[in-house]
Amino acid sequence: MTLTKEAVHKESPDLKEGVLLECRDISISFGGIRAVSDLTFDVRENEVYGIIGPNGAGKTTVFNIITQFYKADSGAVLFREANGNVIDLVSLKTPQVVRKGLVRSFQNIELIRDLSLADNLLVGAHIHFETSVFSQMLRLPAARREERVLREKAMQVLSFLGLTDRADQLAAGQPYGVLKKIELGRALLSDPRLIILDEPAAGLNDTETEDLTGLVHAIKKDYNCSILLIEHDMRFVMDICQRICAMSFGKKLAVGTPEEIRAHPAVQEAYLGEE
Amino acid sequence: MKLTKTKTFPYWKYIIVCLLFLVMLPLNAAGIVSGSTLLILGTVIFYAVVGVGMNILLGYSGLITLGGAGFMGLAAYLSGFCSTRLGLPFILCLVISIAVPTVIGLGIGVVSLRLEGFYLAIATLGIGEILRQVFVEFEPFTNGFSGMRAAYPKLFGIVLTREVTYAFYAIILLIVMILVHNIVNSATGRALLAMKGSESAAQAMGISLLKYKLIAFAISTVLTALGGVMYMHLIKYSYPTVWGLGMSLNFLSISVIGGMQTVLGAVLGALFVIAVPELVIKQLPVIGTLTGVAYVFNGLFIVLVLLFYSDGLIRIGSDVKKLVGKIRGKKNDIDQRSGT
Amino acid sequence: MSNFIQILFSSLEIGSVYALAALGIIIIFRTSQLINFAQGSLGMFSAYIAAFFIQGGESSLEVQVMKHSTIIAVLVGMLAAFLMGVIIDFLVVRRAKKQTSPLALPIITLGIVMMLTGLAPIVFGGNPLAFPRFIENASVSILGVTIMVNSIVCIILGFMVLAAVFLFLQNTVWGLAVRTTASNETTARLMGVPTKIVTMVAWAVAAALGALSALILAPSTVVDIVMMDGVQLNAFIACVLGGFQTFYGPVIGAYILALTKNIFGFYISTTWGTAINYVLILIFIVIRPYGLFGKKTVKKV
Repeated sequence: MTLTKEAVHKESPDLKEGVLLECRDISISFGGIRAVSDLTFDVRENEVYGIIGPNGAGKTTVFNIITQFYKADSGAVLFREANGNVIDLVSLKTPQVVRKGLVRSFQNIELIRDLSLADNLLVGAHIHFETSVFSQMLRLPAARREERVLREKAMQVLSFLGLTDRADQLAAGQPYGVLKKIELGRALLSDPRLIILDEPAAGLNDTETEDLTGLVHAIKKDYNCSILLIEHDMRFVMDICQRICAMSFGKKLAVGTPEEIRAHPAVQEAYLGEE
Repeated sequence: MKLTKTKTFPYWKYIIVCLLFLVMLPLNAAGIVSGSTLLILGTVIFYAVVGVGMNILLGYSGLITLGGAGFMGLAAYLSGFCSTRLGLPFILCLVISIAVPTVIGLGIGVVSLRLEGFYLAIATLGIGEILRQVFVEFEPFTNGFSGMRAAYPKLFGIVLTREVTYAFYAIILLIVMILVHNIVNSATGRALLAMKGSESAAQAMGISLLKYKLIAFAISTVLTALGGVMYMHLIKYSYPTVWGLGMSLNFLSISVIGGMQTVLGAVLGALFVIAVPELVIKQLPVIGTLTGVAYVFNGLFIVLVLLFYSDGLIRIGSDVKKLVGKIRGKKNDIDQRSGT
Repeated sequence: MSNFIQILFSSLEIGSVYALAALGIIIIFRTSQLINFAQGSLGMFSAYIAAFFIQGGESSLEVQVMKHSTIIAVLVGMLAAFLMGVIIDFLVVRRAKKQTSPLALPIITLGIVMMLTGLAPIVFGGNPLAFPRFIENASVSILGVTIMVNSIVCIILGFMVLAAVFLFLQNTVWGLAVRTTASNETTARLMGVPTKIVTMVAWAVAAALGALSALILAPSTVVDIVMMDGVQLNAFIACVLGGFQTFYGPVIGAYILALTKNIFGFYISTTWGTAINYVLILIFIVIRPYGLFGKKTVKKV
């Protein structure tokens, strides 16, 4: 169910200037346990925003709520599309979210083992394929052209990631660091306005994490989008984020710049315990 | 920048297979290949068509059906009825006989959103059994246990002979393989594999599970029904017991043994499951004459093949290539497994 | 009322046949993570062995000990099945699990089906064999309805065997080992559970249950290669009805299935009764996709 322009303007929710995504008072419970309580935060255009918190704080749940893998019990997830419209993502089904410009990666790598790296990237470009199954079956010119153009795009991303030589290799058997990069690269293929990364640095060593930091900077610059991420690696988070939201037990503890968060007493208590 | 996958013409292997089938015709005319062997190979052809459909479902989409025989039987009976009782031309029979089961197949696609894995398997098994019961009971339509008879296809007013029908079927198989090859190597094919590999990732990338499960079941049912029509007009006789669980399980075997994530695997699987018992084992001296021997050896082979080649017989092809490469001393860089 | 008693007893009797087969299927499914299509064939083959044994027994034993022969034949059949289960697990399944894709495993059991179906006529001859009841020519009157004593014996035997298996699972250390392996094999192995032995015993017990199922069925039909086809189908449906997540689900599902089948068969028609049964069950599992007692396992992303 996509909202028409008219419907959007009629009940158009409001977003402040420069804000790309706002979670407004979102809550969700699972079998009596409040996983997320009245959480509000926003992500601005061209910003790298981090969510931190101990395990069980509800971070991935928030991601699932934003990307409509879960439906929030209450609250709104407001997003500004490329054409300026503001919609509440809660009204969308899961596969519709990426068409609005919001794409995610997963904590456990969810690449397709039976496909090559290039093909995995092309899965990310799925929304750009407009020809019908029949056209593709008969390899009509429109379908062939579309495939060629989007494959070019995938090769560009592979080059951006520095993985061109592995283009035709299967995802099965690739080293972990390569898979993490492809998972990230796949998100780029959809022309996103906001990329949501769930623990992108998990399992990476120091060199790989440095690589990733450079990659995230490059993405922000070259692809003109915002990035919202969850991470446990504090050095990485402090390095790369403009603003951070600290969560604990489903609630927002504090929002601010890395320095502000680092110095915040409630955050310190949640992580380190009271002095 | 060099594009990946610049294959010049990927259909050679399908053409070669078709030619191998066609070459049996002059051999038959020369008396080297018997008429019954030709019939068996014709059977292999339409089982391969069904097998390709199973591969789409099982190997590419991760969905299962154990009711395939019911749909194939439905198409067979419909085509027999339309051609013999109603006297409709073959093309019209074909369209009707494929359309009706496909509608039911789409219904199963919707159901497959709710049911997974073994639950879906048994549900489809139940549907297949219900259809078989229908074949028994609807005597005015199917002639019950007495069976229904049909003739070779009638194209443009001419009734074909067995040999021409065989050639016609080989061409149909070729077209089917080419079209399915195209689907599998397109965005649709990738979407199906994504759905199979990770439903979450697929949805995050904008792939609608409902749409693609429907596509998978539609393609698979169309091919199964096509196989049913081909059955009816080559075997020319159908009775209800044929369309049971045993046949549906044969489809599964054909798919898995041949190589379920390939197109060509279906032909290999069909050759193995259908042709080997009839053409190889039964011809063996002494033991070939014992009832049930074919079954025993076929079962044994299935067990052995799957123990050593669990990805299917098609892997033998890549193993042979590797061996040849080693013998020649060349290094085989590209992994042969990237898409057949 | 008399109809009801009749239906009740025949449902309980055929229900125990389905329940034993279904329990065999679910035990293997939960411990080895595979669907065993060979369940029916193993039962069929064991029935042949038992029938052959009894025929041999008839010629050398006197008529008045025939009653014992039947029981011994049944035990022989179950033992043969037990051994076949061990062999299959040892030679095939164990190897297969290490190096094959999960979809290939059920097809391997199909291969075993073909081997057994082909071997039976070679070893035992092409003619169907007969198998006697435990107690012949004896019936009682319950509330005005004539019920064969043998039926009651079978029903009680079925309950006892099922109860024995469940007691074993719940109250013994080995039963705990089975349940742990069924819940999570890797963890079980890490905790010192000898999972290899567990799966082997599971196969053996499942095969023996299938044999008993076939032998309770055998007297009312014949011993031939297709005798267990209908039972296996219904056993699978019972598993779907009851849910694959518990051991007791399929058993209860089996009895329910037998009851509804007989009710529809009696009040509507025998042929369409079966079909209607399937349709209703299909509708049921679409509403409850995990069976009566199943739970959805949520995958965390």
